[in-house]
Amino acid sequence: METILELKQVVKRFGSLTAVNHIDLKIKRGEKVVIVGPSGSGKSTLLRTMNFLETIDSGEILFEKQPCGYITRGGNLVLDSQKKLCALRSEIGMVFQQFNLFPHMTVLENVMEGQITVLNKSKAEAKETAYKMLEKVGLPDRSSVYPITLSGGQMQRVAIARALAMKPKMMLFDEPTSALDPELVGEVFDTIRSLADEGMTMVIVTHNMGFAREVADTVIFMEQGDFIAQGTPHEFFSADEIHPRISEFLDKLL
Amino acid sequence: MTILVNRFGKGGALLASLFLLFALLASPAVSSAGGESDAILKEARDALALGHIDQAQVLFAQVPAPGPDGDEGEFVYSRMQLARLFFSTKNMSKARASAEEITAVYPDNAEAKNFIASVDRSVRPEWRQVVDDCIRFLPSLLKGASMTLILVFFTMIVSPIGGLLIALGKLSKTQPFSGISWFIIWFFRGTPLLLQLFFIYYGLPAIGITLSPLASALIGLGINYSAYLAEIIRAGILSIDHGQTEAAKAIGMTYSQTMRRVIIPQTYKRIIPPFANEFIALIKDTALVSTIAMVELMRAADQMFNAYFNITVLVLAAFIYLIFTTAFTLLFEKIEYKVGVYERR
Ligand SMILES: Nc1ncnc2c1ncn2[C@@H]1O[C@H](COP(=O)(O)OP(=O)(O)OP(=O)(O)O)[C@@H](O)[C@H]1O
Ligand SMILES: [Mg+2]
Repeated sequence: METILELKQVVKRFGSLTAVNHIDLKIKRGEKVVIVGPSGSGKSTLLRTMNFLETIDSGEILFEKQPCGYITRGGNLVLDSQKKLCALRSEIGMVFQQFNLFPHMTVLENVMEGQITVLNKSKAEAKETAYKMLEKVGLPDRSSVYPITLSGGQMQRVAIARALAMKPKMMLFDEPTSALDPELVGEVFDTIRSLADEGMTMVIVTHNMGFAREVADTVIFMEQGDFIAQGTPHEFFSADEIHPRISEFLDKLL
Repeated sequence: MTILVNRFGKGGALLASLFLLFALLASPAVSSAGGESDAILKEARDALALGHIDQAQVLFAQVPAPGPDGDEGEFVYSRMQLARLFFSTKNMSKARASAEEITAVYPDNAEAKNFIASVDRSVRPEWRQVVDDCIRFLPSLLKGASMTLILVFFTMIVSPIGGLLIALGKLSKTQPFSGISWFIIWFFRGTPLLLQLFFIYYGLPAIGITLSPLASALIGLGINYSAYLAEIIRAGILSIDHGQTEAAKAIGMTYSQTMRRVIIPQTYKRIIPPFANEFIALIKDTALVSTIAMVELMRAADQMFNAYFNITVLVLAAFIYLIFTTAFTLLFEKIEYKVGVYERR
């Protein structure tokens, strides 16, 4: 399988703190990468560099083999033009921990918005796609309500539908179930799992090891901006060769 | 409505009757042409001189109507005297009846007609007077009020747009936009509107820009309110959760799309109440443009108050302002409810 996204020696600093420290990562088309690690280890920051919400300090990002997002000016990395960045972002869907639905738009309008303003689709076409996506996440009957009337699980599924409506080539999930009541976690994981089954390329940050083991092709353990370990779920969770920091982390989770 | 005391009210009536009494005493006899009437008139005048008003009234009434044995001058004189006597004793119906005896025979007698009119005026109830004043003042006040509304509506349309541009300028990290915006807010919020209007109307001609009072007023109010609204809008934008910007960016929206479609619509709910405050202040602030030769509601009221010295005009002006501010308050409550619909479960 060909590589869809590649990070080369990516560094992101916040002042003196290095949140992402010389990371190399290749994500293949259709691959499911799960990133785990303690709080503050840089998981979100890394994920956000992948759709240019976070500007890297050095390194290179290749999307579909093309270096992109940055130009070099006077030896420094500078973000590329807004037009190019927006085009890139529309191809990489992102789902946030806090859903971030647009509260002033109905569920349907949330899912139509990007199609109309970014992809310049007609209203009718956008509506049709939106209904399809809402069906996919299991919410075909809540299209005309405002987000405030939904449960957390429903909100997150609408957020997934909103991202999917852009027909992205890959999806980023930043702790998609961390803000949910435990009984609502299942419905969101079900939705993500069905996406995985369709072959969607995904990078998922989560603290849910069960889900990680079930859905991941690759599990990455991150700490202090660095990858400590990386492997298949089997390698990762098999007791005999587990990294001491990871078992410590897993023990804490339990 | 006790403040609506007619300035020529009770005290005035008393003065008028005293004056009438003096006039009666001093008035010389009209003609002394003939017989019977002449004698009656003399007797009546003597009675009056002695203070026997009742007797004088009886005697004046005896002067016959013009005819074979009556004279026009004496008849008119006697009935007018009689009418004035009744008037001075506040017997308005009899005073009017006496004067009407004259107009019955001489419909064109100006003295009697004027007298009847003034009797009618003095017996008219106070509220009628107020109504008449209102009818008299309203046309000019409404004309002024329409100018006030023009100023208000223009400013209400221009200042949110100006305010938004200034707010976005101040939020941007690009010079010179943020510097210019900072300066506009600093200057126009930091100096009195009155001073700004003076600068525009009286000051700009010095550098070759002469503006009409209306243009000066519109520019002054427009910029001043833009500066105020800019800070409200800026605060509104900053109050929107950063996650909204990120979500919009993540689906590929540009900065301007994000502002237009996602951020600014969410500020409406928060900025409408302070906007309503500003616009109600605006309705009253328009009164300031009267200082640069604009005739709006306050100026119209002031002019008429100075001409008639009648408080009714000020009360009317206050009512018109209250009608405006009440209408705006209700309008903005409606708008606030509408734009907040998505926040109700
Ligand atoms: N905008 C920022 N400014 C300054 N420091 C930041 C910023 N964003 C993140 N950091 C810091 O960078 C480090 C990595 O943060 P990040 O949010 O990526 O961690 P994380 O692994 O996602 O943690 P969590 O599991 O709590 O979400 C943390 O120390 C954090 O405080
Ligand atoms: Mg995080």
